[in-house]
Amino acid sequence: MAKNVVALIGAAQTKFKTHYADKTYVELAQEAAKQALDDAGMEPGEIDAVVFSMAPTQFMGVNDCDRWSTAHVFGTGKPYMRIHAGGATGGSALAAGYIHVASGVYRSVLVVGADRVAETPDAQHILNLIWDRFYEHDFALNTVTMTAIAAQRYMARYGTTEEQFAKVVVRGRKNAMGNPYAHLKGDITVDDVMNSPRVAYPYKRFDICPRSSGAAAVVLTNLEVAKQKCARPAFVNGASAITHSVFMGDRMGVFSETEFSDHDGEGIAAYEAYRQAGITDPSSQLQVAELYDPFSTFQYPIIEGLGFCGRGRAAAIDQEGGWDMRGGQVAINPSGGTLCTNPIGVTGLVRVVDAANQIMGKAGANQLPNVHNAVATAAGGSTQFFTVTVLGDDHTPKGIAQ
Amino acid sequence: MDVFVIGQAVHEPAARIGGKRLEEIVFDVAHAALADAAVSRREIDHVTIAGCDELDGRSISSMLLAAPAGAQLRDEMKCTDSGLTGLCLEAMRIESGIFDLGLLVSWSKPSTAPLEDVMRMRCEPFYTRPVGLNMTITDGLFAQAAGEKYGFDEFSADEAVLDAYRRAGANPRGMRHSVPGVEAIATSPYVAAPLRQAHQAPITDGAVAMVCCSERWLKRNPRARPLARVAGIGWRNEEYDLGANRLTSLNAFTNALSDALRMAGLAKPSDLDLIELDSQTGFHELAFRAALNGNAPAAISTSGGAFAQNPYFCTGLINAAEAILQLSDGAGPIQIPGIKKAAAHGSHGFAQQGNVAVVLERV
Repeated sequence: MAKNVVALIGAAQTKFKTHYADKTYVELAQEAAKQALDDAGMEPGEIDAVVFSMAPTQFMGVNDCDRWSTAHVFGTGKPYMRIHAGGATGGSALAAGYIHVASGVYRSVLVVGADRVAETPDAQHILNLIWDRFYEHDFALNTVTMTAIAAQRYMARYGTTEEQFAKVVVRGRKNAMGNPYAHLKGDITVDDVMNSPRVAYPYKRFDICPRSSGAAAVVLTNLEVAKQKCARPAFVNGASAITHSVFMGDRMGVFSETEFSDHDGEGIAAYEAYRQAGITDPSSQLQVAELYDPFSTFQYPIIEGLGFCGRGRAAAIDQEGGWDMRGGQVAINPSGGTLCTNPIGVTGLVRVVDAANQIMGKAGANQLPNVHNAVATAAGGSTQFFTVTVLGDDHTPKGIAQ
Repeated sequence: MDVFVIGQAVHEPAARIGGKRLEEIVFDVAHAALADAAVSRREIDHVTIAGCDELDGRSISSMLLAAPAGAQLRDEMKCTDSGLTGLCLEAMRIESGIFDLGLLVSWSKPSTAPLEDVMRMRCEPFYTRPVGLNMTITDGLFAQAAGEKYGFDEFSADEAVLDAYRRAGANPRGMRHSVPGVEAIATSPYVAAPLRQAHQAPITDGAVAMVCCSERWLKRNPRARPLARVAGIGWRNEEYDLGANRLTSLNAFTNALSDALRMAGLAKPSDLDLIELDSQTGFHELAFRAALNGNAPAAISTSGGAFAQNPYFCTGLINAAEAILQLSDGAGPIQIPGIKKAAAHGSHGFAQQGNVAVVLERV
């Protein structure tokens, strides 16, 4: 178990939109960093180290852009490192910041990042380049087609329909109406989703996240500082990341340990994060889940992987309102989630910010009552990098060092 | 810190490692490190990767390389700064108490993704990219500024390079470049005055892996053979913009080293028996030595450092591997007898924007 308690005492995100014509990349990162410090009641000099969250830099066009950002995020002269795990980067960066403090090496750490996914005219072209040059570039594999294949398999296994996935979009956009930072929001219908242009079966345009630009940041610190600075921190009680093979075909069938269409690593990561956090009954102990769902088809397998229900059951429970923000069994993506906002390099961190805000009572119009524990996820690569972070209002669940 | 290195492997370097895909290089070095530690992949509970997409010529290169690095269905984390930064991250992961046994893997194959092209694209698009700034030019600027501040000239750099090649020539794990004559160095073409081509350490392909464990794991596994203890870690970044103070202060170098020394309970660099410096040019070698300010350890870059092999992204971690060999009496013909404490240095970014130091102790 971790040697030291880690508390999240400041969280911030910018508004997300397709383009920021009035701010550079580094200015966006700075905006989030400054706001997170303000939220924590800290000055830059109180930050001991910086972790920068950034996925592929090809979207915004400056290699290793974290180095360009050093001064803007108050990192000059400090320990400073960048974490990168594709779409899971934000979750992994949070875990790295957590390690900085949990190890006792540093007291207070700023985790910050920014992305401008729409700087490139075609993000899916960039995402084609994540695949093997010799075998996969030429047959139009990208994150849309890759996850469409997994979704088809999930549908075949569990009988889930396109209309059921469409309900995820409707719920997300509706929740996002109460989130001032969300990129897409609105009161849409299942028919609106079903009638949007077909992209790759089972996806229509509305099943797919936007290309977002923006930034996010959190301040992590130890228990001593947290007591001085924050009346109600969100404690990081569990953090886990599981990596799987890039080869989707190796993750299905009778010879595989896991099932690709179930987002197989998410459950393994959740098991470990829950173990650290003392979560034994996710449905009763967790009130909020902020899930990394860039496609409408992601939510159900992730919900099942997190142990909120059995495999293949999430869609049916959704039809009964089980994942609604208010009145549901667990509030799934009260922020609107990744379907509404996806600045890839920081999306996992945005999930953490939104989950932490619910615990800290700072979620604004979407604040839910009595949130004691929340979970945030991220996923990346060929849906092969999975992170799970458990946050709580109490740092003394079973298994956490006192 | 109570973090131990119990196994390591360094891939044989080459100007271009041909005949292998990058994942094969990564698999081979990870597999060799596990074998050196006499543990299996199933026993490790996490993997730390240090790699750079741009140098790998592929977005999210860890998609393909995580599994060959041993990370399949393991808790994996990747940093993109440098190989030696990866050792700092790995040490913190174990020190956190969450993990006990991990594999750290780093690689660099600039022969397939030319370093200078990658570095040029590190320029922000408004000021430095239109100017055409690149690694060589920033190293030239560094050479000018540092030479003026610390009082060394081209001739001194020629001698520093010659000395580095002599040390590198004795290192059986290096490229064994032929030692050039001082005349050849002094008359090689200028690439960014006062920096000459021969002042630059030749870039190579390479890879390195280490198996690290906690003290708790060592107690549970008394047959394990610790090679060295990671006693202190430090890493610092300078600002991105290249002003005169930024080029000459060497603050990131001295502060990263101070952090690592302090964590190890040491007061000054001369408390070390050895430091392996990541000097990309003769001017850097002189500048880092000058920054040690009369407190240099008895031995500096016995391995030859970047002039022995220089897989740019992970040269600092190879410095750590060389230091660990010294601490475990495995350095062969370049072994320093009785060495007890050593440090590895790594640097990265334009004009060494980032500096990393790790202090290692004999167990």
